[in-house]
Amino acid sequence: MAKVTIDHQTFEYEGQQGLLQFCLDHGVDLPHFCYHPAMSAPANCRQCLVEVGMPQRDRATGDVVKDDAGNDVIQFMPKLQTSCSMQMADGMVVKTHRSSELVKRAQKDTLEFLLINHPLDCPICDQAGHCPLQNQAYKHGPEGSRFEFEKVHKPKHIDLGPRVVLDGERCINCTRCVRFTREVSESHQLTIIERGVRNYPMTPPGVEFDEPYSMNVIDICPVGALTSKDHRFKARIWEMSKTPSVSTVGAKGSNVDYWVKDNQIMKVTPRTNMEVNEYWLADEERLDYRKFNEDRPEGPTVEGAPVSWDMGWKAAADCLQGVDGSRIVFLGSAWATVEDNYLLGRLAAAVGASAPVYLPHVESGHGDNWLRTDDRTPNAQGCERLGIRAISPAGLKARLESADVLYVMEDDPVASGACSVEDLAGIKVILHHYNTTNQTLAAADVALPAAMAVETVGTYVNMDGHAQRLRPAKAIAGVNRTLSMEIGKCRADRHGTPFDKWYNESNLVDCQPGWVSLPEVAAGLGHAMAYKGPKQIMEEVSNALPSFKGATYPAMGEHGVRLETAGVTA
Amino acid sequence: MSKAGDWRNYKRVLLPPVKDLHRLDVYEANEGYRALREVLTTDKWTPTSVTDEVKKSGLKGRGGAGFPTGLKWSFMPPVNPDVPRFLCCNGDESEPGTFKDRQLLEYNPHLVFEGILIACYAMTIRKAFLYVRGEFADWISLMEAELEKAYAKGYVGQNIMGSGFSCDIVIHKGAGAYICGEESSLMNSLEGKRAYPRIKPPFPAQKGVWGYPTTINNVETLACAPLIIRNGGEWYAGIGAPTHAGPVLYGISGHVNRPGVYEYPTGMLITDLINEVAGGMRGGKKLKALIPGGSSTPILRADMIDGVTMDADSLRAAGSMMGTSGMLIMDEDTDIVSWLRRITHFYHHESCGQCTPCREGTGWLENIVTRIDEGEGNLRDLDLLIDLCSQMEGRTVCALADAAAWPVRYTIDRFRSEFEAKCKPSLVASGLEMATV
Repeated sequence: MAKVTIDHQTFEYEGQQGLLQFCLDHGVDLPHFCYHPAMSAPANCRQCLVEVGMPQRDRATGDVVKDDAGNDVIQFMPKLQTSCSMQMADGMVVKTHRSSELVKRAQKDTLEFLLINHPLDCPICDQAGHCPLQNQAYKHGPEGSRFEFEKVHKPKHIDLGPRVVLDGERCINCTRCVRFTREVSESHQLTIIERGVRNYPMTPPGVEFDEPYSMNVIDICPVGALTSKDHRFKARIWEMSKTPSVSTVGAKGSNVDYWVKDNQIMKVTPRTNMEVNEYWLADEERLDYRKFNEDRPEGPTVEGAPVSWDMGWKAAADCLQGVDGSRIVFLGSAWATVEDNYLLGRLAAAVGASAPVYLPHVESGHGDNWLRTDDRTPNAQGCERLGIRAISPAGLKARLESADVLYVMEDDPVASGACSVEDLAGIKVILHHYNTTNQTLAAADVALPAAMAVETVGTYVNMDGHAQRLRPAKAIAGVNRTLSMEIGKCRADRHGTPFDKWYNESNLVDCQPGWVSLPEVAAGLGHAMAYKGPKQIMEEVSNALPSFKGATYPAMGEHGVRLETAGVTA
Repeated sequence: MSKAGDWRNYKRVLLPPVKDLHRLDVYEANEGYRALREVLTTDKWTPTSVTDEVKKSGLKGRGGAGFPTGLKWSFMPPVNPDVPRFLCCNGDESEPGTFKDRQLLEYNPHLVFEGILIACYAMTIRKAFLYVRGEFADWISLMEAELEKAYAKGYVGQNIMGSGFSCDIVIHKGAGAYICGEESSLMNSLEGKRAYPRIKPPFPAQKGVWGYPTTINNVETLACAPLIIRNGGEWYAGIGAPTHAGPVLYGISGHVNRPGVYEYPTGMLITDLINEVAGGMRGGKKLKALIPGGSSTPILRADMIDGVTMDADSLRAAGSMMGTSGMLIMDEDTDIVSWLRRITHFYHHESCGQCTPCREGTGWLENIVTRIDEGEGNLRDLDLLIDLCSQMEGRTVCALADAAAWPVRYTIDRFRSEFEAKCKPSLVASGLEMATV
């Protein structure tokens, strides 16, 4: 196997590999700005310079020349090389800043240059705290500056498009954003204009930077030059905590981090998962987070009057009590988790009703064969794998004609056009809802607010059969040991929990996950449906159903499990 | 010791003294396209033998780097009929002090066309781009008209002279950026992209214009090709300095009586070029300094040029480079600091901004040199300048950072006292004790 020596440590490798990526993968930290694994390496920031040498070979024989001690004689290249653009070769010897004063000096020099015209406005910059330039300047940069002149001035706070704002002075010209629009999204909406030290990224004349993936440049910008119009100046990075979870906006199930402050979702950023969304996230997935914070219900209601949770659950059980199973319609949801849909199926079976159905929310033409999909729900595949089938609004309407009770879990049949509030006048409606804007709420006899994807523990299965875990990013009102434990486990800090100085009780939503409400309703009917928590439910699902084989919580971990497709009618 | 032999009786070949030579009929009457006809229509020549003849001539690139031309041509990969390949003729001449290619393009364009076609034949290329500075607008239209005539006569285009060899020449006007003269950014500019230099490897012969094998040669270099074919590689190798042979266009500017472009063999004594060719120093002043080959080559003091000839070896020994042989002559009244200020301004203005050290460094250099020139500099600024040069040299994608740093480094090195004289006096020198400040 080929060998490469980095700072006197020898590594083995196979195939063609870039030196910088290899170093990063093997715990050899090298400062860099312009390099991004998903894009070409222009080697323009010059931050990742290293010394590179190869064993010297005898010109006549081709043998490696040995010194007196029998070691290979290494011939170093006369100039420092950018590791990002350097392909590794067998026998290569690399010296980074750990073993070479020259490299250390070069890295410091480059940072000095990068900082002379940088505004150094970190105290008011959104990037501060998670800024590669800031971090690397502290780690590898010079102390103080020798620059005694006026900095170059460039345009500031320019709206490149509807969602991205540019501060030209902060830009260090790494061209990551330009390469993103060229090589990844292929919208070609950004380019560098001007020349030399006046360079900055800009759209061509008459073009708006409005592509559906524009906000990815905010994440890959190594400084605060590109910021989110939606999020800028809303929260400092250290005031928020982030939770790894899954997007709720489409069937792709893009992996995301939810950022929470004061128990409210502040922003959504992509989380790398090479099997799903790679490094990217569609703008619509980032911006559709207000639903988690706004128009949230305040506890259960019966006939519109607030009640306690126990009374709510009992009222729901009373609605179902004694009704012939054939006259109850259970509506599952492609927004609800696999666990909750499974429990709904069990409840339906317990009362003798047929299996739940779900309303698909498909917007034809919305998808782009990348991260945006026609299906606007995250878990239709999970429903199908549970045997919960899609039903058209008209089909649902037909079924309601012979129904006495409609049990709606986390959906809105009125808004979907399946029925009107008047149609539901003669039918008892039990509704688990997310928001007070739910139009079925007006017809609901029993309304049991449901925890949303950012508040619960559960599983979504994306369109490709990738089962992934949801983790609670924000807390709900009341005590739930499972959720508290999960929040504690998946956050590195404790922001947003009762132990946090930012903690704000007014933003706790009084709702319950389906895996709490459904067993309570079942218990009211005398059916035991007790689980220790969603983990145990998913274990049962993965054991009972071949289409979920292997989808346990430990197996899904942070990046999910690709389920077998055999025998699935999706 | 001059290596140019009997240069006073040298007969010009690149720019012969023929009136209206730029016109096709005049050019034809003066052996024009004879070399091309010989190459295309006689059995004597094959692509390999043309390349070998150029190798034999010892021709080195005239664009500044001085790379052996025949060797460069032989770097092209074997011909694959499915893969296009290109030649670029680099006429984006814009280094301060360099103005020789425009003479060729203006007064002898057909020699350049003929050279391009011979090079294309040698490398089996069917399309050549002549990249010219857009500022040369006045005579580019004349040149285009002459190219049309050459097309009409069947010297360019399909099935040239019935030989079965076809080759197109496209004249492309640049939009006026110095960096476009760097070969890889020239290719990007040609492709319609922003003229950022590319990382090498891959070299142009592997991945050039639109990713296809490409060779890039300077205008003057290609103009030598017909001469080599006409008169043989040995004839060419016999002109001028043995290790850096051939006729060369000396662009002499500055404080001399007759500035201009002069064709002579390589290996001319610098003193001969100043005192005899260019008619001596203007106003009988004394020579103070000169740059031998365009603004980025290290400056030479008057006392450093004794016996130095204009060829790579001699200039290297003297501490400079041949570059483009655009000589800038400065007399004793020249303010070197002010001159350097202008030069740093140029590189600051022309840095493309791709690489950090060049983008930020060129501006900083200008800032400091300007401050010194205005009498506001400190002595420590000189050390800082040298430091910044070290931070720039060899750390960028292309050589512009080096080209920007060298004038600063060598001018301070060779004229330090003039810089010190312009700086604010040190406290010690001004008689102040630290305690009294």
